[in-house]
Amino acid sequence: MSALAVEGLIAGYEPDLPIVREASLAVAPGEILAVLGPNGAGKSTLIKAIAGLVRVYGGRVLLEGEEITNAPAHTMVRRGLAFVPQTENVFANLSIAENLDLAAAIVKAPRARVGALYDLFPDLARQRRLAAGRLSGGQRQMLAVARALVVAPRVLMLDEPSAGLSPKLVGQVFEKLLEIRASGVTIVLVEQNVKAALAIADRGVILVEGKERVMGEAQSLMDDPAVAELYLGRSGRHAGEGA
Amino acid sequence: MLQLIADGLVVGSVVSLGAVGLTMTYAILRFANFAHGELLAWGAYLALSMLGILLAIGGAERMVPLSPFSFGWELVVAALVACVGAAAIALVLDKLLFSRLRHGAAITLVIASFGAALALRNLLQFLWGPIPTYYSRELQIAIPLVPRDVLGGMRITPDQLLVLALAAATVVGLHLFLTRTTLGKAMRATALNPQLARVAGVDVDGVIRATWIIGAVLATIAGVLAGLTVQLRPQLGFDLLLPLFAAAILGGIGNVYGAVLGGLIVGLAESLAVPLIGAEYRAAVSFLVIIAILLVRPQGLLGERT
Ligand SMILES: Nc1ncnc2c1ncn2[C@@H]1O[C@H](COP(=O)(O)OP(=O)(O)O)[C@@H](O)[C@H]1O
Ligand SMILES: [Mg+2]
Repeated sequence: MSALAVEGLIAGYEPDLPIVREASLAVAPGEILAVLGPNGAGKSTLIKAIAGLVRVYGGRVLLEGEEITNAPAHTMVRRGLAFVPQTENVFANLSIAENLDLAAAIVKAPRARVGALYDLFPDLARQRRLAAGRLSGGQRQMLAVARALVVAPRVLMLDEPSAGLSPKLVGQVFEKLLEIRASGVTIVLVEQNVKAALAIADRGVILVEGKERVMGEAQSLMDDPAVAELYLGRSGRHAGEGA
Repeated sequence: MLQLIADGLVVGSVVSLGAVGLTMTYAILRFANFAHGELLAWGAYLALSMLGILLAIGGAERMVPLSPFSFGWELVVAALVACVGAAAIALVLDKLLFSRLRHGAAITLVIASFGAALALRNLLQFLWGPIPTYYSRELQIAIPLVPRDVLGGMRITPDQLLVLALAAATVVGLHLFLTRTTLGKAMRATALNPQLARVAGVDVDGVIRATWIIGAVLATIAGVLAGLTVQLRPQLGFDLLLPLFAAAILGGIGNVYGAVLGGLIVGLAESLAVPLIGAEYRAAVSFLVIIAILLVRPQGLLGERT
């Protein structure tokens, strides 16, 4: 059974203007799936629709076989699905500790779990009383990921975690993702940074105009001329240069 | 001079409690609730009716004061019941009115709250009549805290001292609530970013209900204290509306601590202005405070620039 599956999903901000148009994809347990595609393809809308933030008008979302289509967004963490939005993904007015404690308290996570996350992110542990709004971009991203992990999700979705980060920081964040995957978490990674994403992903899917176009092993997508073309054709950017 | 400061702090405490509720509603729901003043008035009058019921049940003519205060335990119980009543009003109002308009423009909510305020005020006047009244006719002896020859001296009644103490205790309690409890942190999270709060698992609808309840409870405490130290009159809420907004804006709208600070400053400014401009114009002080802060520092004293 897929850890997460999307079947013929139609979703958007207005009923008569679907952004996601009958998109389908499936993620196997323990896999990293990269969701790629040009700017405006509907990647963020797709991932938000899965997370319950954008209305689904047709199709289904299945989490480990259980239908969660249009379930209230706040119930997702309890179902085992965590989401790291692209921007404004930490509570800037709360301290690091408060960000994590709040997430932990909501799902009644054991105390030890926050401690384990401090082990995984020692930078956060060192400054836990600092307001999250004062963190640097890379540390913010780490906190956002840590906050999502507090709930011990079985599926973790991230929207462009590399956006705005230097290549070195991107490497650090992606390394954490590999560690997280190694602990058994399934990951859906939406990215503009095609090269970096495919380097850690098992498989990739390319979304164009709200529908999946190309799907395949990460390695084969990396060498696929059609992939580069999609990017050149749509956004005028080369596949490897997106950020 | 000292006397004016003491009086100003008492008035300011009441304004602070009301302004905290107003600013919290703004922080969570993003609209200026013009009906908030009416929650103070309704809280005060619900307590009055409950007091009457309790006295009737006890077969008592009037309260036996809990010395040194002017009121008996009946008012304490009545105020607690009134808190529940005011919270119910706020929740019903949200359910029937505000929740249906939430997805539209903020101005729609503001206008709706104006309408709600009018309805609540007129209903209150219809039910309780226009004549000012009191919880207790008991006269209180003011305690001289500072002798007359020091800056004019300062005398304060036990009831007024209680107002100051209750306001201080409420602020401390609120601070602990916002920083130590899950619901408090969830409220701060929701105020910053409701969408992220939902992603983090916060039931935002629950937070909204909690906000109304807390705002209504604080409003009731403020209303009862206003009734206790001044008098009960149907336009209590309307008269306090401008000071409430002045306090909230002065402190930085959405900022709870700012609302407390703003309330005290507004109370002091009103009190100190009386010898200068006369009692009839004290209401204008709040208006001047709003204009001044909007011109000089629109984000408020503790607000952040956006
Ligand atoms: N909040 C919104 N309201 C209305 N339209 C939106 C909103 N967010 C995105 N869109 C539209 O949806 C389309 C897809 O956007 P998005 O999902 O963000 O694409 P991507 O993440 O692939 O760049 C765009 O045309 C964008 O204008
Ligand atoms: Mg996007």
